Amino acid sequence: MSFRLRLAVFLVASLAILQSVTAVLVYEVTRRQVVAEGKRQLAIAGATFARQLDDVSTRVSDNVQVLTLDFALRSAIAQRDRDTLRSALRNHGRRIGAARMLLIELDGTIDADTQDASPDQRKFPFADLVEGALEKPSAALVAWEDQVFWIVVVPVHAPALIGLIAASIPVDETFLKREQEQSALPKTTELAVQNSNGTWVVVARANPGNALADRLLGGNTKRSDTPALIEVAGREYVALATPLRTSGQSRPIVAVLGYSLDEALQPYRSVALTWAVLLALGLVAGLLGSVLIARGVSRPIEALAATARRIASGDYRPAAPVAQAGEVGELAAALTNMAEAISEREEHIRFQNAHDDATGLMTRVAAEAAIQQMIDSETGKGGSLLMVALARLPEITKTLGHAISDRLMRDAAARIRGPAGSALVARASDSEFLVWMCQAGQGDAIALAFRLLDVLGEPYREADIAIDVAPAVGIALHPLHGTKASALLQRAEVALFAALGVDEPVAVYDPVADPHRPERLSLMSELREAIDRRQLQMHYQPKLNLTTGVIDGVEGLVRWQHPKLGLIGPDMFIPLAEETGNIRRLTRWVLASCIAQAHAWDLRNRRLRFAINLSARDLDDADLPHRVSELLAIHGVKPHQILLEITESAVMGKPDAAIRVLRQLADLGIDLAIDDFGVGQSSFAYLRRLPVRELKIDKSFLLRLAMGAEDRTIVRSIVELGHRLGYRVTAEGVTDQTSLDYLGEIGCDHAQGFFISRALPPDAFDTFLTASPWHRENLLT
Amino acid sequence: MRWFRFATAAVYICAFSAPAGAAGLGVRISDARGNAVSDAVVTVALQSSGSVAPVPPPSTRVIDQKNETFIPYIEVFRPGDKVVFRNSDRTRHHAYSFAPARQFEFVLAPGESSAPLQLDKLGVIAVGCNIHDQMITYLYVTDAAHVARSGGDGIAQLANLAKGEYDVRVWHPQLRPGAGVDTQRLTIADATELKDLKFTLSLLPDPRLPPDRERAGY
Repeated sequence: MSFRLRLAVFLVASLAILQSVTAVLVYEVTRRQVVAEGKRQLAIAGATFARQLDDVSTRVSDNVQVLTLDFALRSAIAQRDRDTLRSALRNHGRRIGAARMLLIELDGTIDADTQDASPDQRKFPFADLVEGALEKPSAALVAWEDQVFWIVVVPVHAPALIGLIAASIPVDETFLKREQEQSALPKTTELAVQNSNGTWVVVARANPGNALADRLLGGNTKRSDTPALIEVAGREYVALATPLRTSGQSRPIVAVLGYSLDEALQPYRSVALTWAVLLALGLVAGLLGSVLIARGVSRPIEALAATARRIASGDYRPAAPVAQAGEVGELAAALTNMAEAISEREEHIRFQNAHDDATGLMTRVAAEAAIQQMIDSETGKGGSLLMVALARLPEITKTLGHAISDRLMRDAAARIRGPAGSALVARASDSEFLVWMCQAGQGDAIALAFRLLDVLGEPYREADIAIDVAPAVGIALHPLHGTKASALLQRAEVALFAALGVDEPVAVYDPVADPHRPERLSLMSELREAIDRRQLQMHYQPKLNLTTGVIDGVEGLVRWQHPKLGLIGPDMFIPLAEETGNIRRLTRWVLASCIAQAHAWDLRNRRLRFAINLSARDLDDADLPHRVSELLAIHGVKPHQILLEITESAVMGKPDAAIRVLRQLADLGIDLAIDDFGVGQSSFAYLRRLPVRELKIDKSFLLRLAMGAEDRTIVRSIVELGHRLGYRVTAEGVTDQTSLDYLGEIGCDHAQGFFISRALPPDAFDTFLTASPWHRENLLT
Repeated sequence: MRWFRFATAAVYICAFSAPAGAAGLGVRISDARGNAVSDAVVTVALQSSGSVAPVPPPSTRVIDQKNETFIPYIEVFRPGDKVVFRNSDRTRHHAYSFAPARQFEFVLAPGESSAPLQLDKLGVIAVGCNIHDQMITYLYVTDAAHVARSGGDGIAQLANLAKGEYDVRVWHPQLRPGAGVDTQRLTIADATELKDLKFTLSLLPDPRLPPDRERAGY
């Protein structure tokens, strides 16, 4: 329930309750007053009714008295002329409205009766009236034969008292109604007679329908003298039973007078209606007023609630100014203050979150977002991301602790900022920084990289120690290497790894060398299946013996016929196999394939020497010599038909175990060759310790052989040196006749390359060899 | 409750100085309150044989009508007596009687007198005026040996009572019906004896008085 509604309900409810209570009180007071007024009026009406009856009797007795003075009547009475008497009485009775007229003897016997031709000396039943009438007219109500009569008895003098005339006037509905018309007699007037058994019987009522007497007296023999409140037919009356003076010989008679409360309250009905209308109007006005007031209060509060929700959603603009003073205004001010405080605190937290404590630089996450933003806002303008690593930092941290490494990083950050200038500098990881240069090409980036190496090359000094941090820089270029900041970061990282441990520790990202390109990831998982599903196949590139002019050997090269990507070269998946640990399986498969092929060709009298590449990882496999010898034995291939090729970097700095594997292979009678000779850091002194029998000159020298004297000299020197040290020398990458001729000229042992033939599948190789000018059989013919 | 007033007369019979050699009777009549009652007729009738007083000769008496009043209120007659009504007023009067003893009616112009009416039957003849209701007089016709009317002091005196047994009876026009007429036995043993009796009567109001309308109640 909203505040507005609650306030409205409260106000309206209190108004309604107040009004209702007042209405009830007023109604009760009014009702009591009406009841009291009714009782008062009833008391008056009771007395008035009795008086009215007296008036009636006075009138009647006067009339009767006048009647008695009629000489003829007196004469008839005196002479006891009964028939005349009855007719005269009847006549006079009509005149005065009497229902019955009687002549009564002085002793009380009925002498003549208008309703009874032969009274037969009956006694007049109301002796007290007769007795009183001897002196003067007497009158009283009587209950006579189930009716109420007003009887007036008047003496007759002729001239002495000779009898009494009784006039009996019915007190019935007609009488009561007439009396009502002539006086303030209540509408509800009834006459009740008490029976001999004590119950009351209504004998006349002015208003048929209501039976107040039944209700008021209700068969009770007791009768209350005070007005009582009764309910008849759903209407309330104040009723009073007034005893009427009766003849002593009559049964008791009461007049029941009713005062209708409903009628008395009738004038108040319009007041009540007006009141109800006023109450309704008051309620409506109260409702409207309370809604307006509540709105005045709740509107600003709702506005503040909206502001609070806005603040919750991160919008810290100050709350709309509230014109109202007082609590709401204070609340608004407090809300504004709160929003400001939250805003400040959030700013602080955000800064802390986005910045590194030790250096005060942005964190990688923040920097990534910032770089992305810059990329997005300056589309097409390019940029360079430099990843700067302090290679020795992990070591320093382990040795000297975090405190000094933090200080060192802080110092390094300061040094970087100098050359970086306006570029974005951030801390990428524990030992790395990143620098983002907007609108900078590769040249700018490399220039900056070298400047950074300069400033970081100076050892960090603290107290009496000087620490060399071994900086390196990897560079990724936008948009060349990626359009996403995250991708650029990753590529710069890859480049950085390439730069680590190199004399000029600066490297630009090389997509080809990137072992982390995403497509490789799927290849890794697929490579294992490739072996099982025979997607790999061996191609063979012929080796031409320059001395004999005959192809007497091949180099086995593995190819991956990928179902979707097509033919994949070993440059792509060999490093992958090395990383995923599949290289040993791959090598075994290659060995098995080559040896099997050697056997197959042996059977056809094609004796060829198989050069098979080994990975550096294969040298960790102590089981390799044993496996090779098994394969040789199975296929009946002689060991000297196999030449295993290893790169310079694979053997350089290898542990003794690897060297041992090589020696065991050599002991089997298998020759070893150094692949890609001339580009690595190999030294002859080291090579001398290995059972190497052949050198393969890197193809990079051969590619420019035809053009440059310098490379020719290198190749010639290698050949000469190799020969002097007792190695055979093979030249790879021969692409033209000139090179081939030159190699033959300088005494190179074997030549290999596209000029002779590219690597071919076994069948194609057969075909090629059969047709080749360098085929032994062809040579012979 | 004036109208409820019942006059009760007490009749005292006292010793009076009577003519020598004859017995006398004094009857004192009062109402219930002890007030003296006038105009009561006391008749003394011989019960047993005794000396009867000599019957006086018939006479004629006048009932005057003056100031709308019959005067006197009551007159005692002996059978054979005559009565004459005289109008001394300046209005006419219409005298009438429905009494069984003598019925008549006539109109008397002012100053006129009626012809003498002979009253032969015993009884009380109530005479009224049909013009003036309050006018009434009683003609008491009796053959009793001794008759007397009480005066304003409520005493009726009777003299010359011979020895013997008598019934003493009192009548009054306002006697309450049914109240009964008191009769007392009187014995005169000695001619010089003086007896006194007293009667108490229950009376109705005097009809001659105009009804007090203002105070009338029922």
